Amino acid sequence: MLKIENLVTDYGAVRALDGISFTAAEGKITTVIGANGAGKSTLLRTISGLERAKSGQITWADKSLIGKAPESIVRSGIAHVPEGHAVISQLTVAENIEMGALFRRRQNRSDVKLAIEEVYELFPRLAERSKQLAGTLSGGERQMLAISRALVSRPKLLLLDEPSLGLAPLVVEQIIQTVNDLCRKNGLTVLLVEQNANTALAVADYGVLLALGKVVANLPAAELKADASLRAAYLGY
Amino acid sequence: MDQFLSAVFAGTSRGAIYALVALGLVLVWRGAGVINFAQMGQAMFSTYVASSMIMNGYSYWVAFFVALVVGTILGAVVDLLVMRPLSGKRSSAMLASPAMRGTIPVIASLGIVGILQAAAGMIWAAEERGFPTPVNSLGLTIGGNVMPFTAFDLFVIGIVMVVLIITTIFFQKTGMGLAMRASALNPEVARLSGIRTSSVRTLSWAISGAASSLAGLLVTPSANLSPNTLDLILIIGFTATVIGGLDSLPGGVIGGFILGLVISFVNVYRSPSDIFLAILVLLLIVLLVRPQGLLGSKEVRRV
Repeated sequence: MLKIENLVTDYGAVRALDGISFTAAEGKITTVIGANGAGKSTLLRTISGLERAKSGQITWADKSLIGKAPESIVRSGIAHVPEGHAVISQLTVAENIEMGALFRRRQNRSDVKLAIEEVYELFPRLAERSKQLAGTLSGGERQMLAISRALVSRPKLLLLDEPSLGLAPLVVEQIIQTVNDLCRKNGLTVLLVEQNANTALAVADYGVLLALGKVVANLPAAELKADASLRAAYLGY
Repeated sequence: MDQFLSAVFAGTSRGAIYALVALGLVLVWRGAGVINFAQMGQAMFSTYVASSMIMNGYSYWVAFFVALVVGTILGAVVDLLVMRPLSGKRSSAMLASPAMRGTIPVIASLGIVGILQAAAGMIWAAEERGFPTPVNSLGLTIGGNVMPFTAFDLFVIGIVMVVLIITTIFFQKTGMGLAMRASALNPEVARLSGIRTSSVRTLSWAISGAASSLAGLLVTPSANLSPNTLDLILIIGFTATVIGGLDSLPGGVIGGFILGLVISFVNVYRSPSDIFLAILVLLLIVLLVRPQGLLGSKEVRRV
């Protein structure tokens, strides 16, 4: 279980997270939705250690993550796929995937091999393009690659930042369904940040609505989806 | 014909050394975003260590390997003691501005040259001394004919080729090489993948230190050793990286060989006094036609 208590993070001079508390239940998809600038990305970046929390607490598997570096947080089973299909375009597809498992290649060589085979099965298009540079991929393929890079670290918790950004609806559907399957079949805990609330709430178990760095609603996804007044006030539709 | 061939061999052997210097510069530039002006100061220091050992009766090869180890350690020490503390200090407002963050390590590297040159002068006295070669540096004779190259030329070319092949295999085929490339290209994604980018950065400094100490050992026999003899090699090596592309390892290496050949041909067919004019013209042409260098990518930061 991921537990966040009174989390405050500044982004430059701006207070991006202003006392956030919620928990992400094990084996479930929790989605964080909200308008642009609500603090969604900063939340994920603080959990993964890319941003420093000003105060508050983040607990994962009964251990505090505060003050830890990203490279040690990923070792505790949390993989972050940042916004914008974050792959390294000058490396090949295979190298991008291999990179995600470098830190554990010495301890468990055979499992790394297996994990890489699994992501190729999950996204066969990446297997076809494994020798290509990541920069030559389409947006959807890049997002699949970014997720694959995260999955080969064998995470217990996946932090996904706007996987739908800039992608065609059909591709978004495929990616969200894959994430859904990973959660339902493999018990992966997912924290999904989305601006596209409908897509996210369709698969999520819980929804956390953020506005200006504060939690304004924390409900089961179905209830949040049904609440027209919240939607109108914070998501604008 | 003999003149031409000897220009080719001398140029290739010189170019191999410049390629090593360029390799060291590009490694630190890509890995840490710093132009390390202390690089050949470090090499001077490790070459002095080798020179002292040889003068005290150790064999060339023992001194050679000790110098490489000293160069490697010196590279790591520069990062650990100077560069890492500088990059970590965000508390001071002056250090926090992006322009200063890029400049301060460069200024610091100039300070390191000063310290190393002063220290070398104090330890080993500042007068020039010679430095031996492991093989004959006179024209090689095969079957009664004097060849247009020396055994030392072949030694230099051979050893640099081996270094380049090992470096290529290391970067393309090993996990650590992949970690180094990933850290240089996108530190954020690298860290999220679990790569300890600060250790990788120290490794870049160490490998760069090893490459430049090797360059120091190979170039000093023809230049004599004094605390600032290697300054010129740094300038030529830096020019090579600009010609080849500051962010490209093969680019820097190719730039080194091109410069070596140009210098050698000007030396043989014109006069040694025209060498710097030729380098300047070549540099200007590259900067006008292809400012990012032969193999560089377009988005190189302006220094």
